[in-house]
Amino acid sequence: MTVTTVDTDQVLAIAEAVFSAMVDGDAGLLLPWYGELPEAVEPLCAWVDLHGEVAGRAALVCELDTAHELARALLMMGPQEPIGESDLVDAFGEIANVVGGNIKSLLPVQGSLGLPQVALGTAPAVDAPVAEELRLSWRGQPIVISIWLVA
Amino acid sequence: MIRVLVADDSRVMRQIVVRTLRQAGYDWQVREAANGAEALEAVREDEPDVVLSDWNMPEMTGIELLRRLRAEGFETPFGFVTSEGSAEMRETADEAGALFLIAKPFTAESFREVIEPVLA
Repeated sequence: MTVTTVDTDQVLAIAEAVFSAMVDGDAGLLLPWYGELPEAVEPLCAWVDLHGEVAGRAALVCELDTAHELARALLMMGPQEPIGESDLVDAFGEIANVVGGNIKSLLPVQGSLGLPQVALGTAPAVDAPVAEELRLSWRGQPIVISIWLVA
Repeated sequence: MIRVLVADDSRVMRQIVVRTLRQAGYDWQVREAANGAEALEAVREDEPDVVLSDWNMPEMTGIELLRRLRAEGFETPFGFVTSEGSAEMRETADEAGALFLIAKPFTAESFREVIEPVLA
């Protein structure tokens, strides 16, 4: 088993590009999180699995309320507009899908990407070491991108 | 008016693709399909002027859709809009007959950059 790593700056650049193009329409609203993360109250996780010679998982975790805000931003909805569960799962999963797809493009060997999955809680365990854990602040709210990789 | 078929298993992403087409200035007539199999049926029923397809979809992937269309004799202009834009995938797309591959995340500008040369 070989541990594969990804470059923190490249993952941050991917996250910034995804959020500025898809979510915010502008750069600067996604920043590194400094200090300890607050304890998660009602976390929601979206992830995609990477299959092939280099396998693993890319996951995005934030509070459920934050995921609602992300989905509303993605769909250009108003701040108080209610969002249905299917749209929430679809939108949040698609953010993880785009982040995961771009991370896959960084890998030395190209495999395939699974379909996005979304579940309450933190990221489900995966049989691979953590390659990166990026703590981010989106409009002041914590979002964590975790990547597990094994070759 | 150009008629486009947008294939993506994410309804949210189809909405974003359609919105981005409008932002890029393409006021096209849009039909949607939720996977490659649905898109194949839609082309067989009424061939559009262009297909914009995700790559990774259930039922039938985008690359399977493109290969199937070409095998059935459809020469419909075809472009991918996908979260994976590796050199290997671009080569695979090109070999199968795709005109372009737009990697997510995209902007109206990145749509124009690849679509304008095709329209010309």
